[in-house]
Amino acid sequence: MKKERDDKDPLKVVGCARGHSHEELIRNLPRHRDFTPFLNQQIKKIPEVILRNSGNPIAKKINCMMREVSTEAYRAKQFTRTEINNHGVLYGVVSLKHRVIDLVLNYFHERWPECVICLYNEQTIKTTIIDEKGIIKEFNSPLKKIVEKVSNDRPNIPYFNDIQFSGEKIFETLYNSQFISERENQTFFNKMIPDKCYRLPGMRGGVEKRFRNKRINDYF
Amino acid sequence: MPSTLEKIRVLGENSKYDICASTASSRTDKYPKLFGDSEQRIGAVESGGICHSYTPDGRCMSLFKTLYTNKCIYSCKYCFSYNSKKKMSFTPEEYARVFMKLYSMNVVEGIFISSAVCGSADATTEEMLEAIRLLRFKYNFQGYVHFKCLPGVSQYLLKEAISLSDRISINTEASTKDHLAQIAEQKDFNNDIITRQRWLKQLRIKNNEKAIKAMRDKNQDNHLKYQEKMIKDRREDGYKKFRWDGAPILNSGQTTQFVVGAAENETDYDLLKRIDWGYKKIDLRRAYFSSFIPIEGTPLEGKHPAPLSREHRLYQSDWLLRIYHYKLEDLKEILTEEGNLPKGDPKIFLARRYFKDHDPVDPNSATYQELLRIPGIGPISAKRIINLRTSNFVFNRRQDLKSVGVVLKRAEPFLVINGQNQTTLNKFIDTNDNKIAP
Repeated sequence: MKKERDDKDPLKVVGCARGHSHEELIRNLPRHRDFTPFLNQQIKKIPEVILRNSGNPIAKKINCMMREVSTEAYRAKQFTRTEINNHGVLYGVVSLKHRVIDLVLNYFHERWPECVICLYNEQTIKTTIIDEKGIIKEFNSPLKKIVEKVSNDRPNIPYFNDIQFSGEKIFETLYNSQFISERENQTFFNKMIPDKCYRLPGMRGGVEKRFRNKRINDYF
Repeated sequence: MPSTLEKIRVLGENSKYDICASTASSRTDKYPKLFGDSEQRIGAVESGGICHSYTPDGRCMSLFKTLYTNKCIYSCKYCFSYNSKKKMSFTPEEYARVFMKLYSMNVVEGIFISSAVCGSADATTEEMLEAIRLLRFKYNFQGYVHFKCLPGVSQYLLKEAISLSDRISINTEASTKDHLAQIAEQKDFNNDIITRQRWLKQLRIKNNEKAIKAMRDKNQDNHLKYQEKMIKDRREDGYKKFRWDGAPILNSGQTTQFVVGAAENETDYDLLKRIDWGYKKIDLRRAYFSSFIPIEGTPLEGKHPAPLSREHRLYQSDWLLRIYHYKLEDLKEILTEEGNLPKGDPKIFLARRYFKDHDPVDPNSATYQELLRIPGIGPISAKRIINLRTSNFVFNRRQDLKSVGVVLKRAEPFLVINGQNQTTLNKFIDTNDNKIAP
């Protein structure tokens, strides 16, 4: 659909390149933890021209909030490490400040449509699950209890229990094998995995983190 | 008998110089059941790709990238396998299960399967295909697969590889027959590599036409008709009009890789000429460059490593050819006497050369092609400028350009904004006697 443009309003025209529409904001901004109904009312009153102008203070704030939401969802997809049990239950731990758990669950559901996905959010101390039909439910119980409960209702289908090494060990071996020492570039590496990402549950004590810690011998 | 872990360590290390994109598929739900019709499918393709970890050199590590075997009949002088003492192979089942385990941990996004040539290219490819078949039809994996074809492989195996993969590639390694003979004398450049690349193009077009026709007959979907056109649609100069052609089979197309700096006297121009040929003749989606790093125990052990900056400049030039649609002749003009790219951003050199004979351009009147010639303006910002102009918007402030994504620091010397062009001190100096002009 072709957007109507007011030729006399440069802000509207220039702004069309960037920013978010009213619909996008109303749909996604409530995911932010600092979102209030008052902000929603404010957004509805402000014309889209202003919302799309990144120089405007309110637009700046809204863009920043939208970015925080999308970044958190993306980081969770990247760095959540999961495990699968013999009952087709895939589970893991996340640390989400904003309300993006459904996005992360849907991402895993797309990959494992036949499995039940359980994610425990450290921030809210809640476990959220998505079943085979894509229905999302939230529980106040810890992850272990929920996984056990869900597993009891499902048939035993051994997935990968004949593999004699732990998944972490396999990944660590693969990860270490890919490093080309001649191309080491710590600045670039730090840019790709920022420090704050190491606070995510999947990254704690992960191989990537270990690589950054120099041993005493490295200084001699 | 080496353990699975040992195999991952050795074969992973042997494949670390192979380069690939994280995942590069725009495959969508429009083409369901490409790889088996089981309802218990596992895996999906993210169009943007997701990187689950990064190596300390900053490279994204999102694919399960190992060789299938490192037992090789070739003795390429630059290759890891030349001196590898530990020879081993995966079994198809072992390979598939290890990958599925990693996929369940959400540490990999897909597969990059490559191999040395054990016995014959066909025998090794058969085994590699068996591993992929297991993944696709036993484990119902629907995610991303990049299949590396071996030189000299038969056409019927290529045909099967195409139907099972998202992306396929054959390493060209060097730009010409003579250069390849220097580093891998057993490989026949024309027969083993170029002919296979041509086959890949033909097979891909043929398979896609067939698949789209079948789907159209079934669905009567007009959208597919559009995609059929996209697959065929080409620019006059041979380059693809669209980055993604929307093909259901082998969606991410064909790529290739070069070892930069291993062969003597191989210039940047030789490499650019070869990729230009690739884009025009074999529907190459993109090329990868890997700077030569000498490996201990190989005949090229004493050779100097190729600078990483050379690799970077080649990538920049490749971008100019592929995305900006510069002509190879344009790039030829900025090359040094030896035929290499100058140190620095090739686009700036091209712009300096172009604007020697042309006046700085006004964004309010410049054509799309002229805008693309300006450093700091890419295809997206150029399109935005053109779109805004059609809405009668006039660019008379620097801020207007900045807000559409132009990098002013680079673009300003080549632009006229509101009748003014950025000047430099040199303009005030009389070049004849180096005096400041009045």
